[in-house]
This record gives sequence, C-alpha cells and structure tokens, in this order.
Amino acid sequence: MNLTTQELAHLKSKIKREPTNTELQIVAAEWSEHCSYKSSKKHLKMLPMNGPLVISEKGFDSGVLDVGDGYVVTVHIESHNHPSAVEPYGGAATGVGGVIRDILSTGTRPIAILDGLRFGNIEKDPQARWLFKNAVVGIADYGNCLGVPTIGGEVEFDDSYTNYALVDVAAIGFGKKDRLIKNHAKKDDVVVLLGGSTGRDGIGGSQFASDLLESEDRSAIQIPDPFIEKLIIEAILEARDHKLIKAMKDLGGGGLSCAISEIADSLSIGIELDVNSVHTREQDMNIDEIMISESQERMLIITDKTKLKKLEKICKKFRIKCSVIGKVTSNQIMLVKKGARIFAKLPTSVVVNAPLLDRLSTTPKYLQKIQNEKKFKPTKDLSIILLKMLSSPNLADKNWVYGQFDHEVGIRTVVKPGHDASVLRLDNGKFLAVKIDGNPKQCYLNPRDGAIGCFEEACRNVVCTGARPIGMVDHLQFGNPEDPEIFWTFLESLKGLTDFAKYFKIPCVGGKVSFYNETSKGPIKPSPLIGVLGLIEKKPLQPRIISKNDLVLLIGNTKNELGGSEYFEYIYNFVGGRCPIVDFKTSKMNMNAVLELIEKNLIKVAHDCSKGGIAIAISELCMQNKIGCYIGMEKIPAEKLSEDRSLFSESHSRYLLVIKRKNLKKIQSFLERKVITYAIIGKFVGDQILFQKNSRPIIKLSVDMARQTWMKSLGELVLHG
Amino acid sequence: MTTYRVHVIIENKPGIRDPEGDTILNDLVLKDSFSSVTKIRSAKMLKFEITEKNKNLAKKKIQTLCDELRIYNPVVSKISIEAFDD
Repeated sequence: MNLTTQELAHLKSKIKREPTNTELQIVAAEWSEHCSYKSSKKHLKMLPMNGPLVISEKGFDSGVLDVGDGYVVTVHIESHNHPSAVEPYGGAATGVGGVIRDILSTGTRPIAILDGLRFGNIEKDPQARWLFKNAVVGIADYGNCLGVPTIGGEVEFDDSYTNYALVDVAAIGFGKKDRLIKNHAKKDDVVVLLGGSTGRDGIGGSQFASDLLESEDRSAIQIPDPFIEKLIIEAILEARDHKLIKAMKDLGGGGLSCAISEIADSLSIGIELDVNSVHTREQDMNIDEIMISESQERMLIITDKTKLKKLEKICKKFRIKCSVIGKVTSNQIMLVKKGARIFAKLPTSVVVNAPLLDRLSTTPKYLQKIQNEKKFKPTKDLSIILLKMLSSPNLADKNWVYGQFDHEVGIRTVVKPGHDASVLRLDNGKFLAVKIDGNPKQCYLNPRDGAIGCFEEACRNVVCTGARPIGMVDHLQFGNPEDPEIFWTFLESLKGLTDFAKYFKIPCVGGKVSFYNETSKGPIKPSPLIGVLGLIEKKPLQPRIISKNDLVLLIGNTKNELGGSEYFEYIYNFVGGRCPIVDFKTSKMNMNAVLELIEKNLIKVAHDCSKGGIAIAISELCMQNKIGCYIGMEKIPAEKLSEDRSLFSESHSRYLLVIKRKNLKKIQSFLERKVITYAIIGKFVGDQILFQKNSRPIIKLSVDMARQTWMKSLGELVLHG
Repeated sequence: MTTYRVHVIIENKPGIRDPEGDTILNDLVLKDSFSSVTKIRSAKMLKFEITEKNKNLAKKKIQTLCDELRIYNPVVSKISIEAFDD
C-alpha cells in the first residue's frame, strides 16, 4: 500500500509536515484508484446526471429516482472482480453484500439484485468453469439467505477473461421519499459503527483492486455472512422508521478510513474517532489495520445522544453489535485516537481529494488492423450452424444460472428472468423494468459505438416490457489506465454513453469505474456494463403464449454489421469487422413506436434482436413457446446480404413483435404513419424452425431438438465439462 | 496392497472468519449457558477409502486429488489429512 512520490509530496505540502504512519495508510486507502477515481473523475463529469425524476442529496451512495405518489426507487452498481478472481464464492457473495448496503444507506429497502458475470472460455478452460460455478453459487447463497430476489442479469464468456472474473452486481431499492436519510449532522452528535466486527479480512482490498492481479493477495479475502447483513437491513430500516439516523454510510473499499473521511467531507463536519471503541474480532489488531480493514457487513451511522439509546435498543433486539466510536466536531478534521494518544489528524478535504491525474490517451494500434473482414467460405448447412450457436455458452439458455437464484421472494417479480428485462411491481401500482447489458466483443472493435450499443440494448430490453427508460447506471471496466491505449478506450466509451444519454435524456444516476482489470495474458476487453431502469405507469407487457398463425413483425433495418458478433467469433473464431452502429434518430423512432403499440395493447410479445441476430431471437420465441415458425427471409428489411449475414447480423434498433392477425391493419397503418422501417416476415406454425428465401429452404430445425440443446447445454458444460 | 481410510478435513484458514462457527457459538452454545466454550470452528470432512501400497502413498494420492480437483480453494481454506489402517 503506497503513495507515489508525487502524491506523497502533495500530501506533505497540504499538511505542511511529515505524515504519521497511520495517516499514510488512511490516505493511501482513500487515494487508491478504487476510492478516489483519480484517473476518471475529471471525465465522468461529462455524463448528464440530472433529470426531472432524479433526487440528489449530499452523501447518497446510490442513485435516487422519484417514481411518484411519494415513493422512490434507488439503484446502485458495483463490481467485485479482483476478489472473485481468487475466491469466486466469497468474492461474488460479498459483492452482493456491498451493493445492498449502498441501497440501504439512503434509507430504502433492497428489493432486487441483478448480476453481470463474465469469465474465460468455459468450453476449454476448467479454471473458468470453476470460477463461474462458484461465483454463481456465491451470489445465490448470499441473495437467497437475505431474502432479496436476484431477478436478472447476463452472463458472457470471452478469452480475454482467462483466469479472471468480472462480477458486477446491481441492486434496486424502494422506499418512501419522506423516509430518505437526509444526511446531516452537527457538533457533538455521536458516530456509531454497527454490524459485523472488524478483523483482518480484506485488509488492503481497495489497493488490491487497484493493482494488477499478479500474485494472490490472501489478506484481501472477505468472508460473507448474509445473516448479519439481513439483521443489519432490518435494524436499520426500523431505526429509519423511528428517525434515529441523521446520516449513514456503508463501509466498503478502504474501510473506516474512507467512510469517516467521506461522510465528514460531504457533511462539512469533523469526526473524532477512538479506535479502542471499535469492536474487533482479533485481540492484537493495530490502529492501521483497524482503519483500513474491509471486514464486511458494517455500517457507519451518525445520530445524536438522545436517539442513541433507542438505536442501541434496536441493535440489541436484532443481536447486532453497535459501538459508539467517536463524535462529530465542527472543525472539518478527521482525528484518529487510540485512548488519549493521537495517531492521525488530517483535514477531511485533503483525505478525500486525491490529486487527480491527466492520463494520456492514444488510439490503439490494433484498431486499424481489426476493422477489415476476412473472406469466409460460404456456409453450407445453416441449420447445423444455428444448432451449434444455440448450444454456445453465450447464447444458450441461462436457466442453470438463474435457476439457482430465488427470483420471486418478496412477491414483486412480475416478469421473471429469462426474458428481455425483469419487471418489479411497486407499491404505488406502477412497475419498474430493469436490465443490464454489456458487449465486450463489440466494445473491443469500437469502444464508442460498442458502449452505445450496450446502452441501446438495455433500453430496448426495458422497452420490450412497455417501460420508458428513466435512468441508467454504468459500470466501466477496463485494463490498466496508465496505458494510453487503454485509457483511450475508456474515454471513447464514456463519450459514447454521454452522447446517447443526452440525446435520449436518460440521466446517469450512478456508476463505478474499475481499472486494472488485467489477466496474465493482458488487459481485458473494454467492458462497460449498462443498467437501465424503465418505468411502466399502467401495466407491463407480460409475455403471452404464442399461438398458431400469430404473425412475426420485424421493426428496424438489418445491416452488414457482424463485427464482434457471436457468428463471427463462435463459428469462425474471427475477432474483427464492423461493429453495429446505433443511429440515434432511428433508435428513438423505433423505441417510441414499440412503446405506443404496447400501450395500445396491440402486441402479444415484444422481443429484442441482439446477440446472435434474428435467427437466435426468433428461435428463442419458438423454443420458449414450443411452436415452429415459417419465416420468409426475402421480406426482412435489409441491405443486400448473404443469407447467413442477414440471419446473424447484430444490427441495433430492431424488435421482433408477435401480433394477432386481427390487429395487423391497425399496426400497419400506425407504423406507416410513423415512417418506421418494418415488415411482416412470417408466422408461427408447425413444429419446425423454418427459414426460407423465395421458397428455397435455408434453415429447417425441429423446435424440440433446438429446445433440448438450448436449455441443457450450459448446465451440461458446467457440470460435466 | 492395503485399503486405507483417509479423512480429509477442510476448514477456513486460521485468521479467516468462520460465520458458521461463530453463529453456533453465539446463538446456540453460549445461549444455553455453556459459558466455558470459547471458540467453535466449522469444517467439512470427506472420508475416502483407497487401496495403495502404503499409508504415505495413500495420503499423498488424496492430497494430489484434493489439489487437482479443486476440492478446496487454497486461498481461503486449508486441509488436513489423516490415514487409518483398517
């Protein structure tokens, strides 16, 4: 745990003396990339963060959106990549715990979890299988024990994550607007540490996350305890209802050091802390260890002396420990004592304001080479190709994953995992749709348009449930930012997201940047992950059973955009080509048209066309409904493309709509009035997935066989290799 | 060749938390006034039967097996192996 020479000089010039050892530890934790965002902070300001529904208050650890009738929804996203790569079970589980406490710290109840998981090639690499299996079990065990449903997410495998794991967790909270914690404090208020005891686990964790993962750092292992977390949730919500909490913060990366300095700085107060009062697990912990320990399941609360008694009573009832560890002062100084002896005395503004960096950025050299497409031999039997793709780990059904998660506890989950976006019922009669999406394969070819594509895909997914996007969270994961080429990919992604967010007026309500995601084989592909929340005022479009002779309507244009597609990468093992590009105007038109059709109740099912293209999207509908289809490929609105390209192109802004024949006229006249590119491309019938072009069969595959393969291949792969 | 019983105990390394043991101690044992108990650590045991030339070889085989098949994660857990003759 070290400061750079420049940082040390900066610290000395600010405090005008030599820092003590404890001060160095505190500052090093807070100035790590993980806590200080020193590489990214300057640039993150470009994202639009305000909107009519956004409620921002000082010290909120999660984004807050007003959903009307006195209710709010909160959202936060975090990752636990480094810990999960060495201890997938505990790392993934504690990742869930951390993000849940961020939701809790605004005074809202966590109501759902989503997770985005990325691993190496599980078909070839047993280590990747081991990481995947254990991370999934870790999330399931933690979320299921807490009684918070895991309602969705996504899973992807790519060689760039060899021996590594990206474990992203997003959590959603719900509560009453008037019970939000209005972070404030005044002199002589008391500072309370509540929850699990402080031990040596996770010491140096935030620093660990900011280092390259070269050797296993054993002290950065965190052991999950969902039962304490559950008690903390209930105790805090009860304390909130009795208005016992003046300010609150979760202890995450950097432990007490970061929590104390950040809460003090955001409230413009000082805090005087005695480490002797911290309840520890081990006897002989020194002051530095206590200050930077990242033991899980702890919360920091500021309350006043009269409310303290009641708070202690609630903690006793839930059998969780709570210690008064210090008091609020008015001097904006963070004072750390052990008994009477002072170990650190730092202005909080110095601790929380790491010197920001101007990282160099240059266009990566690989990009020039990668745009050109290889000439492939025309594929002969596309039925076999389709079946192979349905069994690929990235496209196969993920029931092996979400089957382990309790996704219904809390009885809010109206649209369950396995569909486009999951939908939660809110207490005011409205519904919330949520989805997270990433696409490192496309972001690698084009970090800007790839990131925009992830954003649009998440929007398309919530739109398919009838929801209008109201907010987004982004998790930007990249390799070492000191490499100008990697930093360029970060900036490009960020600029793309900013442009899309501004055009669509979707505010960014939270996010995280995770750098130094490097494996022994080099940096990971640029992996921005976008979560979108959508609000449904009346009722969601719940997927209805498709019946014989229902029509398939395709909205949007299919282009020659196969760069980073599953088809290129899985079938041809080719990384390169032109990544799909979102046309903002068309995107908005198509999005609004689908929403209006759903609101008019003219659609049975809306499904997004993304990974694997039209062929996969239609097959999914057939397999889920156990019904065949007949698709006339000549009808697909497309550039002039070979059959395989129009089947597997991953162009954006496309939606598959399933409609009843009797609604056709109404829908057609609506879409023509709105000048939307669309076509009726076929119908559901029989028991075969049938694609024809001018009566010439292109694909013929039994739905039953496709379904067996698609449903079972991922589970088989994990369990039997 | 002799058949040996080999017991493998998998537990969190010393210094790494054990919420299960803590919970049994705090919420069960101490609550029932067994106040002289000061610590409980939980563990998992696998009992193998293996036919090998000698006891040492039997233990070695099991150790290799546990390492290679990732029966435990050496980052968080440790194993102890005991072999018995009958």
